[in-house]
Amino acid sequence: MSTAPHPAPESRLAARAAGRGPRPAPPPSAGGAETGPADKRRGLSERNRPLWMLIPGGILMLVVIVVPLALGVYISFLDLDQYTIRQWLSAPFIAFANYVEALTQSGILRSVWLSVSYSAIAMAITLPLGVAAAVATQNKFRGRALVRSIFLIPYVLPGFVVATVWRTMFQPSGVITNLLHQLGINPGLYLNGPNTYWVLVFVQIWASWPFIYLLALSGLQGVDHEVHEASALDGALWWTKLRYVIFPYLKGPISLAILIGMLHHINNFTLPFVLFGSPAPDDVAVLPYLTYETGFVSFRFGLSAGMAVVSLVLILIPLFIYLRAVKLDDAETSGGRK
Amino acid sequence: MRFGKKAVLASIATAAALALSACGGGTSGGSSSGGAVNGAGKTLNVFVGKNTTYPQQQQQWFTDTAAAFKKATGADLKFETFASGNDELTKIQTSAVSGQGPDIYSLGTTFTPTAVATGAFAQLGDDDWKALGGKDKFNQAALGISGPDQNKLYAVPFASRPFVMAYNKELLQAAGIDKPATTWTGLVEQAKKATDASKGQYGMAIAYKDNYDPWKYIWAMSEQSGNKLVDGKTANVNNDAVTKAYQTYFGWLTKDKVVDPASVGWTNSQALANFASGKAAFFLMTSTGSLNTLNGSAIKDKYDYALMPTQLGDSAPSGARPVASILSGDNMGIASYSKNKDLALAFLKMVTDKDQQLSYQKTFGDLPTNSDALSSLSSTPHMAAVTDAAAKSFATPFTGAWADIQLALVNVTVQSIPDLASGNVSDSALSQRLQAAQNSAQQSLNRAK
Repeated sequence: MSTAPHPAPESRLAARAAGRGPRPAPPPSAGGAETGPADKRRGLSERNRPLWMLIPGGILMLVVIVVPLALGVYISFLDLDQYTIRQWLSAPFIAFANYVEALTQSGILRSVWLSVSYSAIAMAITLPLGVAAAVATQNKFRGRALVRSIFLIPYVLPGFVVATVWRTMFQPSGVITNLLHQLGINPGLYLNGPNTYWVLVFVQIWASWPFIYLLALSGLQGVDHEVHEASALDGALWWTKLRYVIFPYLKGPISLAILIGMLHHINNFTLPFVLFGSPAPDDVAVLPYLTYETGFVSFRFGLSAGMAVVSLVLILIPLFIYLRAVKLDDAETSGGRK
Repeated sequence: MRFGKKAVLASIATAAALALSACGGGTSGGSSSGGAVNGAGKTLNVFVGKNTTYPQQQQQWFTDTAAAFKKATGADLKFETFASGNDELTKIQTSAVSGQGPDIYSLGTTFTPTAVATGAFAQLGDDDWKALGGKDKFNQAALGISGPDQNKLYAVPFASRPFVMAYNKELLQAAGIDKPATTWTGLVEQAKKATDASKGQYGMAIAYKDNYDPWKYIWAMSEQSGNKLVDGKTANVNNDAVTKAYQTYFGWLTKDKVVDPASVGWTNSQALANFASGKAAFFLMTSTGSLNTLNGSAIKDKYDYALMPTQLGDSAPSGARPVASILSGDNMGIASYSKNKDLALAFLKMVTDKDQQLSYQKTFGDLPTNSDALSSLSSTPHMAAVTDAAAKSFATPFTGAWADIQLALVNVTVQSIPDLASGNVSDSALSQRLQAAQNSAQQSLNRAK
């Protein structure tokens, strides 16, 4: 997920322009004969597109994504555990019983709440941090390249390493505890109990703000030189310029960053697992944790698959909102028209 | 959508390529028949856990064992390793479905019930045991978790890692203690004498934050007070015996104050490091795995192992079992789909014979399950108590629900750690957590087949 492609701001703007463009609404019977201005841009006529070239990719999609996903959904309807896994296809089909159990007995609702809230809090804090860092390193200064690379360190470190280092520091006799102790602050344990939630938020912020920084930076690079010049000529002060000239340019990359960032947080298993171990302290029993323990410690594969489907639905919600907002799906529907 | 001929060809080619790559997994065996141990031209596949402490030695052991096996049977021996129990379960599943895969799986003792519950392992009959060299050649205690009862055995004990406690002779002597206590109450008294908090020295090193340790204490104390955590299909997790066990376990820190307060954040290896630095008189729940660390530490001449207490107080209640340790180590199971059962038995016989078991012990520290080999070790340094513990180990309940119960027991400790750190785990909080553990244990047992 971390290297998910994101549209460069230019193409994003183009996509938006395409959405708003002076394209006539397609008549219901419009076939390949349509020659609107929007279609001319596509080059090849729709009728003779070499669709067969999509086959290798399509098959890969099928094998890598669709089949496992379908299997996952199917397994969520089975009473699949260590007793039935050997002949898993003949495991009892129990329809929605796994979902009912997940919702009523497993504490999944609490986990969803923990996942979403921690994810949102972390995002709310990383966002201004990342944008501020991007703005600060926008203008040239001595050592900018060095600063920019340092900023990226948390992002390139594997989650496992990040979590291990922070766990060591948050130990009851670790660096952080001792330091705070010397300052006269003693908030208790960090790796067990209520503080765990905030430790998770904190480490997540540390690990993921460079992602926002990266996307904000790419957005800033897309601002035309003329825009800077024009606003300078108009005598705009830095805040006015930032607020009314620069930020609108960042809307696209940033909303993408928010979306992908939130999905990262919600799906993050490594961080809490390595930080807190298994079984999880109640305060950080986030959704991936619960799914893992159900599936791989208790061997309730069916129930665990049900939970995974729930979390899939959960992350589809922001994804859907985003796609609607940027109208990326618009381009697709009109492209698939025949 | 219209696809031309090219499209059809392309799709066929792609599908074929995918199918080929999907079938890339090695095929093994070949048809099996003929003489008992004439395995010329055949391959026996063995699936064992990766030894992260001794990776090179393990590779060497693979090579040596394969050579010896080739010499004895003429068959090739191939080892494959896995990283976790979950990896292994996945492998068991895929192999069992396809009917091909490893012939032999190494199974951790507490994982054995779960693996057997999948039905992927062959039951060992009298003839099989004869081929293995007889049940008598094994340490009888080690057979305790090979199956649900003595007549239904599925796995061959291969290595044993009983739990003992290590103690610092110098600290004990300074506190005027001549030998470690054999009851928990006695041990706490000794720990109190050996504690000097002003010097950062404590009676016991306990790993409260370990992911496994806590349940082993609770299970042992529960058995020692005559309470079976699992009785048939009933879970007995929320009762006086278990409550008392947790209170004792937590009390070392909160009431008796014989444990370093920092131990609420310790895993087993951190507790070991603390003991190795000479700051604790007793280090509980350790195995021969700690030998290397201790022999390379500041206290290398000052430590020894002893049995952990096998009794709560001066008199044992009725039904109590004097458990010294959980039955810990590795079993080996033969896959029910294996076409090389004869070879598998020959391999298992070979690796459970006295000499092989002793050389394995020398390299990896795991104790033999071969009873001759075990008793020949008792005179080597530090081994007396450990071999004693191997004979006094008791099996944890043989049920597929055990993984869940274990998790529930550890969870009680995990959720209690904040209270533990603040110095008091209240009775009401504990009983609430025990009730939750009881529910999840019972639920899991209800599902057991």
